[in-house]
Parts: sequence; C-alpha cells; structure tokens
Amino acid sequence: MPRLEDLTEVARQGHLNFPAFEHDDAPFVALNKPLSEVKLALVTTAGLHVAGDMPFTNGDQTYRVIPSDTPARDIVQSHTSIGFDRTAFMRDVNISLPIDRLRELVEHGTVGSMSQNFYSFMGANRSPKVIEEETGPEVARLLMTAGVDAVFLTPS
Amino acid sequence: MLARAIEETGLPTTTIVLIKEHAERVKPPRALFAPFPFGFALGNPDDPPFQHNVLAAALDLFQQASGPVLAVFPEDGEAPAQILQASGARKDVSNASGDPADELTGVRGYYERWNENHDGRTLVGLSGIPQRRFRGLVRYMQEFDPAAPTDYANKPGGVTIPRFLRLASDDLKSFYMEARMCQRPDQQNNDLQRWFWTETAMGTMLSDLAGRLAASEEQPYQQAATGIAR
Repeated sequence: MPRLEDLTEVARQGHLNFPAFEHDDAPFVALNKPLSEVKLALVTTAGLHVAGDMPFTNGDQTYRVIPSDTPARDIVQSHTSIGFDRTAFMRDVNISLPIDRLRELVEHGTVGSMSQNFYSFMGANRSPKVIEEETGPEVARLLMTAGVDAVFLTPS
Repeated sequence: MLARAIEETGLPTTTIVLIKEHAERVKPPRALFAPFPFGFALGNPDDPPFQHNVLAAALDLFQQASGPVLAVFPEDGEAPAQILQASGARKDVSNASGDPADELTGVRGYYERWNENHDGRTLVGLSGIPQRRFRGLVRYMQEFDPAAPTDYANKPGGVTIPRFLRLASDDLKSFYMEARMCQRPDQQNNDLQRWFWTETAMGTMLSDLAGRLAASEEQPYQQAATGIAR
C-alpha cells in the first residue's frame, strides 16, 4: 500500500477517516499497473445515449453504447426521472460523462488510453436485477475483450 | 449495484457516489462520496480544474490494495442540494398565462443562439419532432385529453401516445432551459426551475397537462404525468 504522504490529500483523509470494515463477499480486483499504462473506460448510469439512439424507458435495464470519439453535441440524456437538474448536463457533457477530462488526462500521459466505447445505463431502478446479473456483466465482458483495464463509473 | 457487478466479472472499478449511506450499505469496491446533487456528478459544469480534482480523487482509489474503500471528496460544488420541482415552485404564485406556442416562438431566437454557441449541442430531439415544428406540437398537447385521446400526425412510428407526450415534454423543457441559459447566463439550477414553472405559459401548460394525465385511470398516462411535472 502506498505511503499516506504520497497520496493526494483526498485519498489520505479517506484512509484516515474510513471505518475499516471488509466483508468476504465484497468483490475486489486489484489494478496491477500504473494509471499511465491503463486503458480506462467510462460507464455511467445517467441515462445517456448517442442522439438518434433509442431513449431509455421507465424501468429500462438495457445499456447504450457511446463510442468514445462521439462529439459532445451528439450525446444526449433520456433518464426517465425528473428528480434532478438537467441544466448542468445541457451546459457541459463532462458533468456526467467526463469525456474531455479523460481526453486531457490521456494527452497528459496521466492515463494510458481510453476505451473505444463507453456505456450508459439508467440508474434509480427499484430492482436492478437484470443490470446486476445480465447487462452489467455483459458490458464488463465487452470491455475486457476490448483490452480495458479499469472502469470509472458516474451516477446521474 | 453496477460497480460490484463489473468488479465481480473481473474489472477494477472506481465510482462516484452521491449518497454516502447508500455506499456504506452497498459497498462498491472503490467509491468516492462527493457532496453534489444528482445531475452534478463531477461537481461544477464548465469547470475543468474542479472536475479534474474530482476525477483524480476517484482514480487515486485504484492505488488501494484491498477494499471496499469509501473516500470523501472534501469540497462542495456550486449547486444546491435539492432541485426545485414544479409543485414546490408553484405553491405561492398564480399561473403564468399567455399562449405557450407564441411564447415558444418568442424564445426561439435564444434557443438557436445557444445551439450555435455549443457547436449544435442540444438535448432537444427525443420526440423526433423538429423544433421548427413545435408550434403544432404545443397545440396538440394543450388540447390533449386522455379520456378522448387523439394521435399526433407526425409522431414517429413505434411510440405510444403516453410515451410521446413524455418525450415531447422533455424536449419542450430542454428547449426552454437552453434558451433561458443563453438569455440569462447568470441564472442556474433552481433559478431556472423557478422561472420555468412560475413565469412561463409553457410551464403552466405542462403542469395542466400533467394534471389531466394524472387523473386518467390508465397507468401509462399516470406514469407519463409523473415524468412531466411533479
């Protein structure tokens, strides 16, 4: 484990404040390479899709593919909940899907590369059994087959 | 939850979570609790340095040798915790009157300028009706009665009427919000919500439509109602 003083302040405080509970059933796969060599994928539950693709419907547990070179103007949102403010996403796609930020990290060498495809689900499902047992693992397998090393997940 | 499902399949994940108690219960493999409301996962729109701090904090969690890990992002974002809903906004204010179709024509200039300034980016388009044709759409919605439903001539194939009403409402809201953000860049978040629901004829029209749909005995219309105004 890295020395606490080598971590960012955020991570350091996280370790200091984190109540140390671990459970046998918690899945955990170590990332065994530095971020600068990692192919990273973005996956979101914000109900996003490429303009023209099928919008999400109520209770939808399918996913949408968003090629990582999709221009921001072609990424739209059809999350069925109206319980959150969409205006931030209208202003800036990165607030839910940080494609430009990831691109900058790759250009800078902080992250090795980005995956060819990103994926969006729609969150706030009352019983997300299909996502947990079928479509979620399916997306994971697609990413692994594509050589992705790690995933960054954002909510809506 | 999705992070666990992906990790169980074999891929390391790190997740932004917006509800700390939820993360404590569900225990994603690596979670950064961030004190932002839904819709603001990376904190502040149009703020790359802030977003980079959030992203870096989440990616830092990959240095953990074991989990589950729950870290806390220490900075608040700019957005208020709770979005103002139609019912909250309209409590004290009389309905904004006027013709929503004319009003829409009046804000179109701002909408189109927003569009240009954002490289053509807009959330309008879910209904399949081009925005230049929204006048007819607004008329249809103004008159729509779930007890005597009529179809909209240009509704895309394969879409039910309740679903179409929902998607059309989303488009009209997006149209208005994008126009307003162009007209008043100083307004954000709940200012925009309050303006829409209390100061526009379109807000009144959608509230009234939601009321009629909610009173229907058919579940698809009731469901559409809760997706239009709450």
